Amino acid sequence: MKKITTAKLFGQFKSIQSAIFAAVSVLLLSAVLIITGISMRYTKKSIFDNSSMYTQNIIRQMNQNIDSYIAYMENIAYMISSNEDVQDYLFGDEDNANARGRLLKQFETILESRSDIRNLGIIGINGRKLINDGKKSMNPDLRLDSQQWYLDALQKPEGPLLTSSHVQHIISGERPWVITLSRGIRNFSNGGEKEGVFFIDLNYSAISGLCDQNTIGTKGYAFILDEYGNIVYHPQQQQLYNELQTENIDLVMKSDSDTVLTGTGRKDKLYSISRSNKTGWTVVGCMIVEELLQKSYEAQRSYVLIAAVLMIVALLFSRQIARSFTYPIQRLRDSMKKVQEGNFSGADVEIESENEIGSLTRSFNVMTHRIQELMEQNVRDQEAKRKSELKALQSQINPHFLYNTLDSIIWMAEGKKNEEVVLMTASLARLLRQSISNEDEVVPVSQEVEYARGYLTIQKMRYKDKLEFEISVDPSILNIPLIKLVLQPVIENAIYHGLKYKESKGLLQVKGFMKDGNAVLQVIDNGVGMDEETLAHIYDRHKVNYHSNGVGVYNVQKRLQLYYGSEYGITYESKKGEGTTATITIPGIQGGKA
Amino acid sequence: MKNYRKLLFTCVILGVSVAIAAGVYGYHKEKTERKLSLIYIPKVVDGTNDFWTSLILGTQMAAKEYNAQIEIYAPKEENDIEGQISLLEEAIDKEPEAILISPSSFTETDELLEKAKKKGIHISFIDSYTQTSIQDITVATDNVEVGEQLGKYAASLLEPDDQIAVVAHVKGVSTAVEREEGFRKGLGDLEKNIVDVVYCDSRYDKSYELTMNLMKKYPDLKMVAGLNEYSSVGAARAVKAAGVKDEIKVVGVDSSQEAVQLLENGVFQGLVVQKAFKMGYLGVRETIAMLRGESYDKNVNSGCQLVTRENMYDGEIEKLIFPFNTLKNIETIRNQDG
Repeated sequence: MKKITTAKLFGQFKSIQSAIFAAVSVLLLSAVLIITGISMRYTKKSIFDNSSMYTQNIIRQMNQNIDSYIAYMENIAYMISSNEDVQDYLFGDEDNANARGRLLKQFETILESRSDIRNLGIIGINGRKLINDGKKSMNPDLRLDSQQWYLDALQKPEGPLLTSSHVQHIISGERPWVITLSRGIRNFSNGGEKEGVFFIDLNYSAISGLCDQNTIGTKGYAFILDEYGNIVYHPQQQQLYNELQTENIDLVMKSDSDTVLTGTGRKDKLYSISRSNKTGWTVVGCMIVEELLQKSYEAQRSYVLIAAVLMIVALLFSRQIARSFTYPIQRLRDSMKKVQEGNFSGADVEIESENEIGSLTRSFNVMTHRIQELMEQNVRDQEAKRKSELKALQSQINPHFLYNTLDSIIWMAEGKKNEEVVLMTASLARLLRQSISNEDEVVPVSQEVEYARGYLTIQKMRYKDKLEFEISVDPSILNIPLIKLVLQPVIENAIYHGLKYKESKGLLQVKGFMKDGNAVLQVIDNGVGMDEETLAHIYDRHKVNYHSNGVGVYNVQKRLQLYYGSEYGITYESKKGEGTTATITIPGIQGGKA
Repeated sequence: MKNYRKLLFTCVILGVSVAIAAGVYGYHKEKTERKLSLIYIPKVVDGTNDFWTSLILGTQMAAKEYNAQIEIYAPKEENDIEGQISLLEEAIDKEPEAILISPSSFTETDELLEKAKKKGIHISFIDSYTQTSIQDITVATDNVEVGEQLGKYAASLLEPDDQIAVVAHVKGVSTAVEREEGFRKGLGDLEKNIVDVVYCDSRYDKSYELTMNLMKKYPDLKMVAGLNEYSSVGAARAVKAAGVKDEIKVVGVDSSQEAVQLLENGVFQGLVVQKAFKMGYLGVRETIAMLRGESYDKNVNSGCQLVTRENMYDGEIEKLIFPFNTLKNIETIRNQDG
């Protein structure tokens, strides 16, 4: 079933080349298409996977950076809050200038070496404070118990606390955005109760700097949430707060997996999540689906381009394959067409390869050579045959005529008619010489005329009272070549069929002249003539042969046409009781053949 | 014939490949947008005035986000109408695609804006507007709402017979008129307690003096309400200086570092703060949407928020009243004197 349809399908093509071309290109194109399709399908997924893996790495790195950064700050916090000078200054005697001085020096060192630290200081619940270099005035209107970092440090159990990003109000006239690390300070002279707070304000830019170090694509970004889902850092914090942007924080906070997709639309986001146990913060890497799609489009675009190039190559390739298959066949076909038309020159086909077509070509070449040889052989044979036939035809002189003539000579000799014997014998000798000795196939008209004259002379002597003849040939045709033994048989025919039966004396005229570029010889007798039926059978072989000397009209006609072509030859006109005219027409000019 | 077919075959292949290449590239090329040029002319740029700082920041962030180039042509003082007009002329000469303006005058910029429109420049009003509605887009705080919030909050602080004085900024200016209207509405029954409305011409010192006078004139005054940053802060300064912050409650509109300090200090009971960042941002965003032929809102209310001593340290309020700049390379602001 399948085979039939395929055959049908390819049967529709006009040439094998297009069929092969179509088949190979369909195969190649579908292979290219399928492979491209698969890779395009695979691309999207792999780009998504790779991107989220890449982002995961980045945000983990970020989280580690933040962790180690915060750890460093916690070390500072620990170092200071466990410092004895802190105890002395906050909880010891009033105005402990020594402790204050040492602490200030320590603060200064830290502040100088770390530009990312905005403020640091210690605050006692008793109102004692030491902040930065100790020179800046405090915000007189700030109630510390309204500040979360302060309250939490005092109330929450052990360990440093980290705020989200917030405004630090503690110093008068400055309201910077910071992240505060705070730690309660125990008063060991009072049972270890938390009675003071140490804090470090980290410039917001320190955290944002950590987040901006790495880029996530061109549109992607990272943001940080604290443990409650508040935004610590977001590149578009302003827009978020003003509800000009949204971030699906709930989804992030609830998600158990590392990667979560907000949706499937172009504007949706792919979140990569990394939580830190140390800070409690969640670093979220956010990629815009659109950008990922864009990437996969770009990849797909290159696939499409490659596919297009491959397709073109495939088309060219299939064309080449089709050509390589069919070109030798086409050459063979063209050559066969030539041979078919009988043109053997250049029919040989070059053998390009030793495959089936090669051997086919070789066979073809052998075959054409053979055919050519056979045809040449045939032509030679035909020629020889024709020549021998001509010779055979020409060499026939009626033996009866010879006997009759010899009888006549005997009778004339007996009758002592010496002159007549001489004339007749001479004529016969001339006649015989001409018919036997002359090797040439073709003789001038004049010779034929002379031969006819000799023959007529003999016949006239035989049919004394019955035959009279006249010969008038235009000299202009005397040199025109004519095949031998044309005129004499026609005359013979006229005598035996026309004049012989006539009661009275007959007249035979031989005329020669040019007409329309042809040479014309006419044999006119006024004998009994022929009815139409006899006329119609005049060329028949048997009839003529039977009555005549063997070189009958049929023979003459055949030879003339063999030699000159079918448009030449003898035509007869006759009327019963009035006579017959035989007209021989040959080409007027045949110098080359003469 | 054979050659013709060969040529055809080559042509088809070439054509197909060119079409594919062009198609694929064209599809993606199409998506890259043209960068738009915008000019914003605020009323003032002033480091102490957080309202305008936030607003300008908003315009710049939106411009960056939505692929536009924005230049800020800012007068050095608010109410410098002449200055703003000359900046507007300069802006029109530059033929940006749109001019965003916060007109200082209700009447005097119209002629120039008309000229700009004729040149094919789109006009967006931010924060305030002019008498003829020449603009394509208006993004502003609903000032009646500002006044109303202020009035409601004020009413919650007052006894039924407490006297109220209003220090407005400029007489006849749309914002002053609407905020006063809203304030009266928000006060409800207490509206009858308004004893006086004065105008400080957006000057701290004048507001201060007017408030001093009011306190003398009305010894039983229980509340002063300022209708913009200058009038509010001036009034608060006077109340603080007179040492009567526990007797006379001050409420106001808009925040600044000083206003926040006065709020923290307890002079101000509350401030209604406009969402300046949002206003600037939306102004640019909607303008760009219009220029790009996308859907946009002709009139946008950017909203306002009441800030009190109690909520001023909340994360969300902090972000509103203490603007922070997350824009890395803030574009230069073109000042009046170059």
